[in-house]
Amino acid sequence: MIGYIVQRLFAILVILVVMSMLIFGVTQILPGNVAYVIAGQFATPDVVHAIELKLGLNDPIYVQYWRWASGILRGDLGQSLVMERPVGPIIADALGASAILASCSFVFVATIGITLGVIAAVRQNKAVDHGISIFTYVGISVPEFFWGIVLVIVFARYLDWLPPGGRGDASDSLLTRISYLVLPTATLTFTLIAHVSRMTRSSMIETLRTQYVRNARAKGLPERVVIWRHALRNALLPTITVLAVDIGWLIGGIVVVETVFSYPGLGRLMIYALERHDLPLIQGSILIITAIYCSANLLADLLYAFVNPKIRYGNAVR
Amino acid sequence: MSQSALLSVSNLTVAYETRKGRLKALDGVSFSVSTGETLALVGESGSGKSTIALATMGLLGPEAAISGSISFEGRDLAGLSAEDRRKVRGRDISVVFQDPFTSLNPSLPIGLQVAEPLIQHLGLSRNEAMKRAIAALTEVGLPHPERLLTAYPHQLSGGMQQRVLIATALVCDPTLVVLDEPTTALDVTVEARILDLLDEIRRSRQIGMLFITHNLGVVNRIADRVCVIYAGRIVEIGAKNDVLNAPSHPYTKGLLASLPRLSARDHQQRLAPIGGRFPDLTALPQGCAFAPRCPFAEAKCNEPQPLHPLGDGHAARCWKAEALRQTPWPVPEAPKTIAARAPAMQGELAVRDLSKIYALGGSGGAIRWTRRFGLPWLKIERPILRAVDGVSFAIPAGEVLGLVGESGSGKSTLARLAIRLIEPNGGDVVFNDKSVNKLRGKALKSFRQAVQIIFQNPDSSLNPRRTVGEAIARAVTLHTSVPGKDRHNHVENLMDRVGLPRSYYDRYPHQLSGGEKQRIGIARALATDPVLVVCDEPVSALDVSVQATVLNLLSDLRDQLSLSYLFISHDLSVVAHIADRIAVMYAGKIVEVGSTTAVLEPPYHPYTEALLAAIPLPDPALANRHRTVLKSDVANARADTGCPFHPRCSRKLGTICETVTPPVVEAAPGHNIVCHIPLKDLERVPSVLPPERVTS
Ligand code: SF4
Ligand code: SF4
Repeated sequence: MIGYIVQRLFAILVILVVMSMLIFGVTQILPGNVAYVIAGQFATPDVVHAIELKLGLNDPIYVQYWRWASGILRGDLGQSLVMERPVGPIIADALGASAILASCSFVFVATIGITLGVIAAVRQNKAVDHGISIFTYVGISVPEFFWGIVLVIVFARYLDWLPPGGRGDASDSLLTRISYLVLPTATLTFTLIAHVSRMTRSSMIETLRTQYVRNARAKGLPERVVIWRHALRNALLPTITVLAVDIGWLIGGIVVVETVFSYPGLGRLMIYALERHDLPLIQGSILIITAIYCSANLLADLLYAFVNPKIRYGNAVR
Repeated sequence: MSQSALLSVSNLTVAYETRKGRLKALDGVSFSVSTGETLALVGESGSGKSTIALATMGLLGPEAAISGSISFEGRDLAGLSAEDRRKVRGRDISVVFQDPFTSLNPSLPIGLQVAEPLIQHLGLSRNEAMKRAIAALTEVGLPHPERLLTAYPHQLSGGMQQRVLIATALVCDPTLVVLDEPTTALDVTVEARILDLLDEIRRSRQIGMLFITHNLGVVNRIADRVCVIYAGRIVEIGAKNDVLNAPSHPYTKGLLASLPRLSARDHQQRLAPIGGRFPDLTALPQGCAFAPRCPFAEAKCNEPQPLHPLGDGHAARCWKAEALRQTPWPVPEAPKTIAARAPAMQGELAVRDLSKIYALGGSGGAIRWTRRFGLPWLKIERPILRAVDGVSFAIPAGEVLGLVGESGSGKSTLARLAIRLIEPNGGDVVFNDKSVNKLRGKALKSFRQAVQIIFQNPDSSLNPRRTVGEAIARAVTLHTSVPGKDRHNHVENLMDRVGLPRSYYDRYPHQLSGGEKQRIGIARALATDPVLVVCDEPVSALDVSVQATVLNLLSDLRDQLSLSYLFISHDLSVVAHIADRIAVMYAGKIVEVGSTTAVLEPPYHPYTEALLAAIPLPDPALANRHRTVLKSDVANARADTGCPFHPRCSRKLGTICETVTPPVVEAAPGHNIVCHIPLKDLERVPSVLPPERVTS
């Protein structure tokens, strides 16, 4: 097990190095000139040239890359060109906000998705099953921004129950701050839940047909115990894999949802940086997102191993 | 014997609505089980025997239409509410299902799974329940029960898993235990140990057992009374000795006659299979359902057949039962030789010192730094398994070599190595004095034509969308140079040869029975006119009566086409029936090899002796014959040093067996035994087989 984790961490490291090169390379060929971004549209060539010299923009690309990468190793992601603050703290703030949104959505996707899947499986081909199937299908077939806009119109503009966007600030009460989370979380949950509930449903149906579930019933256990203790635990294994894949979708969805709800998270920060051509900020945020994605997948794998005793306990007892 | 009936089933009928009409899985089944009695229900697949188990447990789905009564300790179970029925399950009646490998929940610890019924039915606390679970695990003979509580199913062998399931079934002190083929998935030496255990439990606890099986040998070992089921109806019922000694229903006679006899003298006699096919359960006749397959059928058989009493509770559903008492099941004639072919080429296949090593999965093993693409890389060194470990044998042209071994012995790997389906890690295969490992191109192709293989499961090698004719024709096109215009003819000849009617040319696999599908497999193997055919468990997936027809076919083909076989099976009776010589394999090594007669008689290798003694035979006189009980529930428990068999050997001499590789002892010319025990001591062991007797 330990060996496996070490191996995986090593692989993540390799991925990050390669990704950092890619990110750096791609941002270099983005249209536009960094010096102009800093100096403003109407700067004289002299000023632009001076900035280029100062930032070393005329150095060979590998020198520039090394400057950037070695900075990261020292914990320095560079200076944001537009905000004129270090990139690190900016990203940290945004990351915190996104993390709250992501974890709320993830918890809802997992719990509601699994519950719906179990109910659908137990009531297979009954009205409840079809209802759940339609509900989740509607969720997955329309993109996030549509649901975002619909929710804003209904709950913020029309009913005026919830704020249409933003995050609130430290002076707001906890309840108010939670209210800012409701709509974006609901949007993300609704669009992601179908994968989880469908996977749970199909693996649950399969599990309910196994010999060990029949054996559990033959022991005279009540159906409740059979489903939640005997069947679900095994049915969850494929669901965990889906949840790991969902992390990728979640990251993609968060970028859209944060923009729709003007939620100051990492996704919106990245869009903002792209619009302003703020290279250090773009590079930093993409790199962080990559790192999060890799570690989330590792975490999912470890969880999988933990739930599956075949991996957790290898050896035979004789 | 007959105390008050514990379970009494009367007129039980179970039907399903299907697209083809009403399917009667059970039709008016009545029987009873008394306290302390074992009733065996015997039948082939489709007979409805497992439906009886599920109906007794109340586990049939809502789509089953059930009528009749199941009364248990005076209560009619069918009248109980679902909730009350559940409270009986696992507490008063419990069940052990067929497949231990899938019957335990893979994600729950053993302790919880055993203790669960106690917590549920008796309301014990977790701690108390665990204590009783330990006692139950001890009772079924599992070592270190405390450690098992926290273990998971995959860490146990199949035999140990079945013991856990038996412990679970007994933990609430039920009065009736239903056993649905409890040993079918196990190896024969492990099966013998589990049957001993069940018998002992039945004696010590005085519980009733409803034992469901297809194996008449097992019935003989365990049952007091027998109930033979065919197409959802009881066709014969009676005390075990009466039914096995004087089978009265023709179907029972047929079942017994189609079993290969495990005897040195009888071997290679023709078997007496039951011809025809299992009836369609949606269109059962009013009269005897066995009539289409019965050699004694007459017009009167088309009338409804009640059970005819034959005295002492023995009864058969056949109006001729009394008259047929002395009439044995007929043995079919060998067919006339069709276009016998002179052996075109000499074909001796020899393997020398073959080895195959597999890396084991799992998370064990040391972590090492290695290099990959020139970069430092962490690597985990996995443990390995020597699946085949230095095996040598030769099969001269026209000979049948039987290879017998239990699961994990490496016999199937050896089969694949021998015909170069997989590459060995060491050693060589020699065919007609040429090393097969070096063959390339045309020479390799002609080797592949000369040596063919038949697999266990005919289904997996058949494309469901191809007709029988197309399936065989494909083998002809791929592997032979038969010109296009002659192909149809060639296929029809092959179908004649394996006994498939030509009208089957355009049928699809799902329209065929298991035996017929296996005939397609044989026809495809014969398409290239091979000289040697490797038969890898060719009859293991088939019912006994069908198994006999396929075995007869294989013997006939051998005689007509002067084929050689490498015949592989876990079933020593089947191997002994067809083979000229037998090699016994244990943990990747051949431990004994010799002519069939020599292997079946002493001197034995201790493993061969145990294997022979473990086989349950359907002769009541031998129900409790001398048995060598092997240690351990792991069929191929292996050792890295010394004799591979020493972890299970009951004749182990001492440290010499653990440390020194045993020598090859030549008991007679061509009869080799690999063991430290001196030959003269081995010769002193009495025969484990029944003395020869006149068979009815
Ligand atoms: S009733 Fe007739 S067909 Fe049926 S088993 Fe007896 S003799 Fe055979
Ligand atoms: S060598 Fe020893 S352990 Fe092996 S079979 Fe012979 S007696 Fe048994």
